[in-house]
Amino acid sequence: MKRKHHLKLNKYLVAGGIMTAVMVILAIVGTFWTPYSTTTMSAAEKFAAPSLHHIMGTDNFGRDIFSRVMKGLGTTMMVGTLVVVAAGAVGILVGALTGFFGGWIDEVMMRINDAINGFPSILLSLVVISVLGMGRQNVILALSIVFIPSFVRIVRSEYIRLRDMEFVNSARIMGVSKMRILFVHILPNILSVFSISMMIGFNNAILAESGMSYLGIGVQPPDASLGKMLSDAQGYMFTAPWYALSAGVTIVVLVLGISLLGEGIRRCSND
Amino acid sequence: MIKIEDLSVSFQGRTAVEHVSFSIEPGEIIGIVGESGSGKSVTALTLMGLLAEQASVDSGRVTFDDTVLLEAGRSIDKRLLQKFQGSRMSMVFQEPMTSLNPTMKVGKQVEEVLQLHTELKGEEARKKVLSIFDEVGLKNSDMVYESYPHQLSGGMRQRVMIAMALILEPELIIADEPTTALDVTIQAQIIALLKEINKRHHNAMLFITHDLNLAKTLASKIMVMHHGQIVETGTPEEIFTNPQDDYTKMLISAVPQRKKRTCNNAAQRNQKSSAAKGLKSFEEDEDNRKSIAEQIIENLQNVEKEHQEQCVQNGSREILRVSDLDVFYKEGNNSLFGGKKKKQVVNGADFSIYEGEVLGLVGESGCGKTSLSRAILGLNQNYSGQIQHFTERPQMIFQDPYSSLNPAKTIGWLLEEPLRVQKVGKDDRKQAAMEMLAKIGLDETYYRRKPSELSGGQRQRISIGQALITRPHFVIADEPVSALDVTIQAQIMDLMMNLKEEMGLSYLFISHDINIVYQISDRIMVMKDGTIIEMGETEELFSNPREEYTKILLA
Amino acid sequence: MKYFGKKLVSLIITLFMVSVATFIAFQIIPGDVVTSILGTEATEEREAQLREELGLDKPVVERYVNWMGGVLKGDLGTSYRYSKSMNEMMPVAELIGDKLPVTLWLAAIALVLIIVISIPLGVLWAHSSSKFLDAFLGVMTQGAMAVPSFFLGVLVIYIFGIVMKMFTPGSYISYHTSFAGFLGYLIFPAIAIAIPKIAMTARFLRNAMLGELKQDYVRTAYSKGCSKNRVMYGHVLKNAMMPVITFVGMIIAEVVAGSIVVEQVFSLPGIGRLLISSISTRDFPVVEILVLYIAFVVIFVYFIVDMLYRVLDPRISGR
Repeated sequence: MKRKHHLKLNKYLVAGGIMTAVMVILAIVGTFWTPYSTTTMSAAEKFAAPSLHHIMGTDNFGRDIFSRVMKGLGTTMMVGTLVVVAAGAVGILVGALTGFFGGWIDEVMMRINDAINGFPSILLSLVVISVLGMGRQNVILALSIVFIPSFVRIVRSEYIRLRDMEFVNSARIMGVSKMRILFVHILPNILSVFSISMMIGFNNAILAESGMSYLGIGVQPPDASLGKMLSDAQGYMFTAPWYALSAGVTIVVLVLGISLLGEGIRRCSND
Repeated sequence: MIKIEDLSVSFQGRTAVEHVSFSIEPGEIIGIVGESGSGKSVTALTLMGLLAEQASVDSGRVTFDDTVLLEAGRSIDKRLLQKFQGSRMSMVFQEPMTSLNPTMKVGKQVEEVLQLHTELKGEEARKKVLSIFDEVGLKNSDMVYESYPHQLSGGMRQRVMIAMALILEPELIIADEPTTALDVTIQAQIIALLKEINKRHHNAMLFITHDLNLAKTLASKIMVMHHGQIVETGTPEEIFTNPQDDYTKMLISAVPQRKKRTCNNAAQRNQKSSAAKGLKSFEEDEDNRKSIAEQIIENLQNVEKEHQEQCVQNGSREILRVSDLDVFYKEGNNSLFGGKKKKQVVNGADFSIYEGEVLGLVGESGCGKTSLSRAILGLNQNYSGQIQHFTERPQMIFQDPYSSLNPAKTIGWLLEEPLRVQKVGKDDRKQAAMEMLAKIGLDETYYRRKPSELSGGQRQRISIGQALITRPHFVIADEPVSALDVTIQAQIMDLMMNLKEEMGLSYLFISHDINIVYQISDRIMVMKDGTIIEMGETEELFSNPREEYTKILLA
Repeated sequence: MKYFGKKLVSLIITLFMVSVATFIAFQIIPGDVVTSILGTEATEEREAQLREELGLDKPVVERYVNWMGGVLKGDLGTSYRYSKSMNEMMPVAELIGDKLPVTLWLAAIALVLIIVISIPLGVLWAHSSSKFLDAFLGVMTQGAMAVPSFFLGVLVIYIFGIVMKMFTPGSYISYHTSFAGFLGYLIFPAIAIAIPKIAMTARFLRNAMLGELKQDYVRTAYSKGCSKNRVMYGHVLKNAMMPVITFVGMIIAEVVAGSIVVEQVFSLPGIGRLLISSISTRDFPVVEILVLYIAFVVIFVYFIVDMLYRVLDPRISGR
């Protein structure tokens, strides 16, 4: 609460905040209510251009694109959120322990981390998907596994930076237990760095999920997905460019909003 | 030669230098003395034409001979400044590590000055660089030429900086705290070099420092700066014997002085000096250092035994006993392939601390004094020998108040944490914290503040409070004032001494500055290369140092 | 040199671990491969026969040794799905062979675009004191980084293909037919891959340069009488390029990954498309080899970059 006094609003924060807020509201509302049903098809309204009735137009089955975007946004954001929460939690735990204690466990974890990092992240998620099969749960599981190493790395390097700081030595001399030092003394100091990396992770998860769904190996119908919509829409670029643009621009706004928000927070905490 | 008239500089509305006027004549060394934020560095940078872009010159001007380099209200003529920079005036900076380009050979960096201002090229330029390296006392100038900064020691890097400043024999050399980042022995060499250069080339020098004593040894004229203004100007004698300004007086009184103290046991002192006689050779004889060290240790053990008997007679309780302590430090990059090396950092330490006593430990950076304290505190388990605590574990006051207080917590939380560990109830904790705030001279509003809102001195008070809140008997203070300004230093030293009397504390007081240690200690140990080479009652050690090294420290 | 040896050993260990990890990953696949090939109706005899043919009846370690030994000798195994003729199985090597150049050229063109555009852009950005340019580039790069590569691909097709008619989408020209035509077509997917990375690298370089400008040695350079240009290009640029080398190394991995996706958008017959279709059809020998191959390439690139960095940065190479 105290922090608000220091938090001067900057352009990044405002722009990012507005974009993110709009996206979150659309996603939440979309889970309960959409202007039109997302499944009702209508041959008569096939490829209707954006209008007051259908603000993003309709698709090849005459379905309202805006309603489907809302649903897809919900799926995408849920996947992103679950992935960063799961991977972030593991990252904090493993990163804190390995970074603080070091030793051979750290060594082994880092080797595993390096091996995983050797794969480009999308390739690794493809491996996990091909092993586990497709579908929403498996996408979440795959991306969580893929994202753990980057969180471990960030948390670990923060713990290494902080573990030799005098305030940690000071706590040791007071006789504070190791676990308390780890999670009560050090943890609050990494939260600003960590929250920014959560945002970056969230964006990467969204990009990866929509990429996989675009490739047809991610979220499967009937679950709505922005990536899948875009790949469907690609065939109709001549006749209905708004179809592809609606799905694509939504992803861009979502990602841009979060990254501006992250940039805004970073600038605030640096000043 | 150089005139600064009515100069005022501000940074985004905040005034850094206010109506400063002075002139520099050929051959003279002017010392500007002031604490951090006094505007001394900004004055120098303005004179050099190196002000940051956010800075604005609000009034006054700088003239070099007849050329106006800088004038308020006129846009800065960078071309003109560039002609003077490096050729007619040059600058030596504080941090020799970071002030050189890390990816460029130092020879090339010095040669760049020639490229910028002269027609010298190739072999000729190289020869000139090598000869200036010789002049500033860099041996193996060929090798130095081909080195990168990280391959040189701090002292060598500073010599390179001086060579760079000197190569075109400028009329003015500005040195901004050129020795602050260096060890005491290296400091003395660099100061001697600057003096010699001044004598030989008869150039003017502007020497900027926070250290009044240093200015006294070097400068022919001293200017004291405070809050952006020059508060007093005079010769060193005038300033020291008859200071006019209140701030100058305070500054002089804050400088650790060697006041005469009452000696209580002359007989004991005599015994001690005889016990360790004839061991001046530690410094001179590199090859036999190990055996000499052993001899020293053995002798000091006798000294220690005598002191112990004395204290037992006086009824003082022993609080800590360190016997035959070797401390090691693990080296290596912690990888599967890199083998771990054990490096010995403390060699045969052997001493005790008694109730109510302050034991000072003096040594340069890297001598092992911090490793010794970490072993005593239990932070480094990698030692052989014995550490016996006769009371509860010691508490600690750290050097850097900016890293010793957890930035994410409030002052109240920090003060209460040691009690929380001891499972003291909430109300008692808060009461103890409030009492401690009063004791360390801060009011109750600080309870809710965060460390980032406090000044360095205030933080150090909190650090002291945190160490003392559990009412320990024994506190280790590792360079507790060396990160602070001189006037603040004096206040913190006073606080530490008062609390010692009030709470009956014993200190192990560690510092690189023998004068600070002198102020507070009953006994002093001198440490070099991991070995305690000399130990004795404070007065005795000061008036009759046995080791060469101690004498250098005292000089 | 000692460092090189150490790194080489560590490279080999990493490659080994990656190969084991890849192999194990495809051993724990739920569902039986044999059933998935033959369907549930097949006789037990036929199943046992296929098991033997595929080497699935042997212990795991032996299977790994056989597999890896084959890979090292150039025998990459056979596909479950594709066959050459009725009785002859399709070797993976043949399947990959003519697809590999497509992906490699695509990645190479993208990488060239990234380096050639982002470095001057980053330097210009750091050097410029124009507030407008700073804000403009800031917004542009933030935006570019937010666009997923497949959407960029779609946009490139729409803008360059459909609106500007600079190329005909879907009319890929094989490098056998016309190498120039092949490269001319690849430019467009390469642009789609490169744009976000150009933005990232330019930002990174700019921040690195601004960071260097705050260093003490810059002040020293000015005190010698250096002009701003000389400080920028003589001192700051080299120091700022050091971390950029590592950064570009990391980008390469992402470029390879990006090409997997973008091949799909542009219907390019590269290994990315093969990988995706093999995953969809659960053709594991193919997936296994492709994953191993891409991982090896990426790890090797990291190794090269690390070595390059050691050579160029005297702070490290001097040790």
